[in-house]
Amino acid sequence: MPPRRMNDDYMGGGSDSDVSMLDEDEHTSRGKAKGKGKAVEGRKGDKGKSKAKEQPYAWEASYTRSWDTVQEDEAGSIQTAVQDLIARGRRRRLLAPGEAVRRTIIRHLILVLDLSASMMDRDMRPTRFDLMLQYAREFIAEWFDQNPLGQIGMVGMRGGIGERIGEMSGNPQDVLRSISERHKLEPAGEPSLQNAIEMARSSMSHLPTNSSREITIIFGSLTTCDPGNIHDTLDECVKDKIRISMVALAAEMKICRELCVKTGGQFGVALNEGHFKDLLFELIPPPAQRAVARANGPGAANPAADLMMMGFPTRLPVTSHPSLCVCHGELKTEGFLCPRCLAKVCDVPTDCDICGLMIVSSPHLARSYHHLFPVKPYQPIATLDGTPNPSPTCHACSVPFQEKASQPNAPLADGVSPLGRYRCPDCKNDFCTECDVFIHDVLHCCPGCGK
Amino acid sequence: MPSVQDSNTEASVAPDTPSHLLLAFLQSQSQNTLTRLYQRPSSCLSIFRLLGPLERQIVMNLLWLESAIPASTMAAWVSHEVRKSYENSLSILSRLHVLPQSTVKLALNPTFKTSLRHAIVGGGSSGSFGVPATRDEKHSPPSIEVLDSYALERWETILHYMVSSGTATRPSQGVLFLLQRSGLMASVHGGSLQITSLGFQFLLHSPHAQLWELLLQYLHMAEERQMDLVEVLSFLFMLSTMELGREYSVEHLSPTQTAMLEDLRDYGIIWQRRATSKRFCPTRLATTLTSSSPPLPAAGGVSAGAQNRGFIILETNYRLYAYTDNPLQTAVLNLFVTLKSRYPNLVVGAITRESVKKALANGITADQIISYLTTHAHPQMRKNKPLLPVTVQDQIRLWELEKNRMKSQEGYLYTAFASQADYEYVLNYAKQLGVVLWESSARRCFFGTLEGHPNIRGFIERRTAGNA
Amino acid sequence: MDKASHLGVVLDLSPKQWHLAAQPSNPHPVTLSVFLSHLLAFLNAHIACKDENSLALFGALPGRSAMLYSSTMPVNEEEIEPADANSYRPFKVMDSAIMKHIAEEIEALGEAETEEPIGFVGALTKAMCYINRVTNGAGSTSSAARNDDPAGLADPRILVISVSPDQSSSYIPVMNSIFSAQKLKVTIDVCKIFGGESVFLQQAAHLTGGSYIDIDRPDAVLQYLMMSFLPPPGLRQLMSVPTQDKIDFRAACFCHKNIVDIGFVCSVCLSIFCQPVPVCSTCRTKFPIKTLQRLNASRPNAAPGTPARAATPARAATPAAPANSLPRSTSINPHAVPRNASNGSIGAASPPMHMNGGPR
Repeated sequence: MPPRRMNDDYMGGGSDSDVSMLDEDEHTSRGKAKGKGKAVEGRKGDKGKSKAKEQPYAWEASYTRSWDTVQEDEAGSIQTAVQDLIARGRRRRLLAPGEAVRRTIIRHLILVLDLSASMMDRDMRPTRFDLMLQYAREFIAEWFDQNPLGQIGMVGMRGGIGERIGEMSGNPQDVLRSISERHKLEPAGEPSLQNAIEMARSSMSHLPTNSSREITIIFGSLTTCDPGNIHDTLDECVKDKIRISMVALAAEMKICRELCVKTGGQFGVALNEGHFKDLLFELIPPPAQRAVARANGPGAANPAADLMMMGFPTRLPVTSHPSLCVCHGELKTEGFLCPRCLAKVCDVPTDCDICGLMIVSSPHLARSYHHLFPVKPYQPIATLDGTPNPSPTCHACSVPFQEKASQPNAPLADGVSPLGRYRCPDCKNDFCTECDVFIHDVLHCCPGCGK
Repeated sequence: MPSVQDSNTEASVAPDTPSHLLLAFLQSQSQNTLTRLYQRPSSCLSIFRLLGPLERQIVMNLLWLESAIPASTMAAWVSHEVRKSYENSLSILSRLHVLPQSTVKLALNPTFKTSLRHAIVGGGSSGSFGVPATRDEKHSPPSIEVLDSYALERWETILHYMVSSGTATRPSQGVLFLLQRSGLMASVHGGSLQITSLGFQFLLHSPHAQLWELLLQYLHMAEERQMDLVEVLSFLFMLSTMELGREYSVEHLSPTQTAMLEDLRDYGIIWQRRATSKRFCPTRLATTLTSSSPPLPAAGGVSAGAQNRGFIILETNYRLYAYTDNPLQTAVLNLFVTLKSRYPNLVVGAITRESVKKALANGITADQIISYLTTHAHPQMRKNKPLLPVTVQDQIRLWELEKNRMKSQEGYLYTAFASQADYEYVLNYAKQLGVVLWESSARRCFFGTLEGHPNIRGFIERRTAGNA
Repeated sequence: MDKASHLGVVLDLSPKQWHLAAQPSNPHPVTLSVFLSHLLAFLNAHIACKDENSLALFGALPGRSAMLYSSTMPVNEEEIEPADANSYRPFKVMDSAIMKHIAEEIEALGEAETEEPIGFVGALTKAMCYINRVTNGAGSTSSAARNDDPAGLADPRILVISVSPDQSSSYIPVMNSIFSAQKLKVTIDVCKIFGGESVFLQQAAHLTGGSYIDIDRPDAVLQYLMMSFLPPPGLRQLMSVPTQDKIDFRAACFCHKNIVDIGFVCSVCLSIFCQPVPVCSTCRTKFPIKTLQRLNASRPNAAPGTPARAATPARAATPAAPANSLPRSTSINPHAVPRNASNGSIGAASPPMHMNGGPR
């Protein structure tokens, strides 16, 4: 029996003081992270925390009178007010900084699930365990949608040891399959943070330096049952540049926060089911590498950045002649051909087993390009006086514009056009509200300039 | 009852059932009639639209081929899972004589092919899409609103007359005859017309299905009246391809079709300024015959708008709120709801055991009530899943089952057996046949079904003969 | 299943390409007017299938794009010839509107404009915007209840009729359109009449579950359209609509807009370059000098700027490979596999090339 380290020195603090402590930690962590040359997305987390500080429990919160924000118009209808609210919300989102943000795109993540007996608590419905599985599935699906080149591995903490549930894989189906069978994951025993982190660390040790390594832990217990000094593990993680983020379901533990803070990750305690999901899903967007190189002057090389050679394969159809694939040695009809050595592999992205070329399908890469080349925000048109002959219809969907302003007296401060016209600064075409939002949120390409 | 809406899903279509009422009628017609019908592009286009999606695609695949193609080539084109519905589609098409049955080669009926091609790319000189009237100097053509309100008024008059069992405004004699002929209403001992259980069921159908039901009855009637069916059908199809709000000339119509004008005017399908007018306008009822857009126009303020969107809110406590000021809708609801109070635009009521029993006694089934409530549910209700409260649905079904608590079956009671051994011997034989419905060994009697009687009687006779 | 469907058509109206396509030297010349008559028959058939089916036609012209027709477009009564008894009026109205707009757009083209790149991206994105409006927000101000009515949702798809080769400069916009199509569950079908294989459109069809059909007999184009592109997506699952035999997943590089099969990718922003560069032009990341040396040493072919499978005219003009000429690559010994076995389309047009540096 290994010596137990009970890291539950947290019990002394009440929930309020605990939250204020969180806040300070968050700030110091950001400072430290900057010093290390790694940006942290702490903003969102911060906001959640400060909200938590004002309203420690849901039942203490004052009733938000959401209907007070809605005003009726002269006819007593709230239709226009609602639509205005929606339109303004959309516009505000569009006015967010439009410059290209650099993000880590090739991510490697080990998702550590707590499978200890404490997960059978019913404080989150139906149980912490079932909720965690459900959210983990949604998390994985969404994560792969936003990080198409990433890979996820799964580790479970059960009975004092770390268990490998799923190998690192870039295929969402593989990852989801590993947690599809609930009875194989039935919670039991004590969790061991150290064992699980060591296991995760060893499975990421071979990865190249330019990819990010992350561990995300969902932790429901208030204890950890470790064979050695967990602080040594922490130091190793810092050395390997592994980010640890954690979502605790019970309460904060000092060691958990320290793991996250020192490695530059995020830590949060879920207040309720919805907050749990929010905390977990905050970890999905690729971490921004905001202006690190620029801050150090354009000359400074980013050690994490590298140029990689990649091949774009040809996909063979189901109707082609069956042949052996190099990855499994099975006879298959479909597959992808490595462009360099013409070996056939079953799935992409992968490394070619014959020539070692990294094979990705170009749509995988292209999915992130709209981060790089965002569409310029359109200018709301307040009046048609300056335009010689304005187009009567939206340039994109050919819907006629309204002739007169909807609310002639409404203030125009928040970038809403009273005419419902938004003009592209480059091609000078006018677009309707609907298309404006669609172009910036979904399409990422201006129909006028074709860029 | 295959209405247009619910028979569209491939799965729910029973084998060999075409997706539209009219197709079944067409299938019963002779090849000669159909070929004459297919000479008109408008008829081909309308029939094509009434077909199911798979049938339409098969027709389209074959339409532009000059020569027949091997059936096996065509069969390879559908995947294995739907082979059954594919063959079903082929048999429907062959019974319509659109695609002659053949195991070797597939080719469309040449008449149908030429006409449908003409319909799609234009050309030909059949004049089957209706001859537009020349511009009238005195009167401008009626606006779409005029046509809509006319159609609505006519149609609701018919339905309202049915609901009120003859106390509301009487529609014209032709309509009354049709209602009677179709069994939707029947005259009670020579007196006024009363709605039948068939009529009650009819009221709960969608307007589209109601329209087609009436028209089918009209077609049957036309057959009896020795009218030329091809003329009648092609006129209906011509109407369905006409443009709403345009005037057409009556001059090119055949005598049969001119005679039809009056009937169709009574149903609200066409509009004429005067009975003797040389021009007519199809209403929305006509132009939507082959589409699934709502045939009754969105006219008349709140009621019609609500009709398209749904107006019924049903709560788990069986209370029902109907946002309508339409007397017809209120009357239909009254068939199975106990109405409590009426406001200018709202009717409040409750579904009770009595009200449902009354409806069931009228021959309306629980499924019809539920489907009516579902199709007319208020948009607010659409957010619920399931749409109707399960308790109410189950209760309506239970009330229906209640009605069926007693089941009668004809049969024979066998008594007065001489001995227990005799009794058991016969009973065993009857049990082997599986015809025993009830038995009582204490009283030495049992009850057997009608079908089993000859055997049992023969058995007893043989036995007594043997003993004697 | 039998619900109304929306069809967006993106029609490539490049005068130059249509002129080339109509050259009698082609094995199967096709002229724009002949093709348009087929297309109109197809569009009529789409409307004929169901009265509620809707349609929007967008034209890609040199340097710009325009909406040519949509079912919601107001009809100008005066311009259309009077109704006659021999044609179904909606078809006639639609056909004449389309022909009129196409004629207007082509006449409006100046001499200089014909050389400009085709506005294909504009037409495609407009089709997407239109579908977005049809599905999510038809008449946004009038009815709030429309979202409650699932029956009102059209089953949207886009048919791209292309005669021009890929423009590599439009790689990113086309990919963005594809991803938004995926999001809106729009199927993109591609009908390639002329102009060689299109890598981007192949990917578009593949990623959205549509079909890419390279028409080798343009005189029979109507039958292709009817059999492959008429059934709405719901019906396609039931039948074996031909899909493309193989999909090229190549991308265009950011520096020279070449189409490359092996590229150099910035690990930070995933920009693609056709040759090793010291600084990423997109995110200004500097790459380690060691990497550059290593990559330069291991490049597959010596001459920079001529990527291995750049789309050469010879390749572009060859017809699609029949499925049975596809490689039998067991890939155990890559050296033994000649280059042209991998894509049968090259055929004899290019010399065989082996893996370790080709004959170039």
